[in-house]
Amino acid sequence: MRVMVMIKMNKDREPGKLPPKEAFEEMGKFNEQIAKAGILLDMGGLKPTAQGAKIKFLPGGKKTVIDGPFTETKELLVGYWVLQVKTMEEAIEWAKRAPLQHGPDDECEIEIRQFFEIEDLPETDRVVEAKKAGKKIGDVYKEMAKEARGQQN
Amino acid sequence: MMIVKSNPEQDKKTIEDKTRSEKLIGEMRKYNEELSKAGVLLDLSGLQGTARATRIKFSPGGKKAVIDGPFTESKELVAGFWIIDVKSREEAVEWAKRAPAPHGPDQESEIEVREFVELEDYLPAEAVEKYEEVARIRLEKLSQMKRDARKGS
Repeated sequence: MRVMVMIKMNKDREPGKLPPKEAFEEMGKFNEQIAKAGILLDMGGLKPTAQGAKIKFLPGGKKTVIDGPFTETKELLVGYWVLQVKTMEEAIEWAKRAPLQHGPDDECEIEIRQFFEIEDLPETDRVVEAKKAGKKIGDVYKEMAKEARGQQN
Repeated sequence: MMIVKSNPEQDKKTIEDKTRSEKLIGEMRKYNEELSKAGVLLDLSGLQGTARATRIKFSPGGKKAVIDGPFTESKELVAGFWIIDVKSREEAVEWAKRAPAPHGPDQESEIEVREFVELEDYLPAEAVEKYEEVARIRLEKLSQMKRDARKGS
């Protein structure tokens, strides 16, 4: 199963301000461990919300753009790993080992979420066929996009 | 990263609920197709509701608490995301504005646009080296996984 392991903080970082060197080294070591374990599919760090934006979709089709920073937010996404694991327990064990750095008043949380996989899709003919062929959810998405392209032309 | 925000009501929905509106599915498919035709789409995925999620809370002093979902009190949940490669924040905001309202036209919804931390412009030199090493191991392991999958089938 694929899981997204998200790091959430209750306070945003200051734009351009880097964590201490030791924090980078610790995180680098941890990243190396999960890469060596062969479970690291992807990872990324996000810049502070000062460099972000929000688009609010209102009923009736109206859209508003709001520029960051989002100071009212208590659960800010600062980074994530996408891992290939056998069970949630395995993901939890790895997440508990993550060297998260935070000040004495800061709270920090890791949230582990499961991806939608082909097994979770409603059993349409296409899905049943794709499962038989050993295809993954990404393959089904790609096929659907290809068909959409065919219909447009 | 264009993050589709969820709310407690959306979080409860199953994949069957989510795929019930053929109109929204069709609009989403068309939008994904536009992103991929423009050559900006790097990745996209949907996450399962938090009933199948876990959080690890890191408290000052090294204490860690494991909390099982669902997270009904949470206002900042992630439903899914796109990763796009664009030249500017403005371009990203334009793309996000063109997305169909993620929860349908009658519901308020939100897409948050966040920039990735890029190694070169953000991290100190030693850290970059470490992250490059992690990236190399990750790719090696991924191609090994692919080879194993081919052998297995």
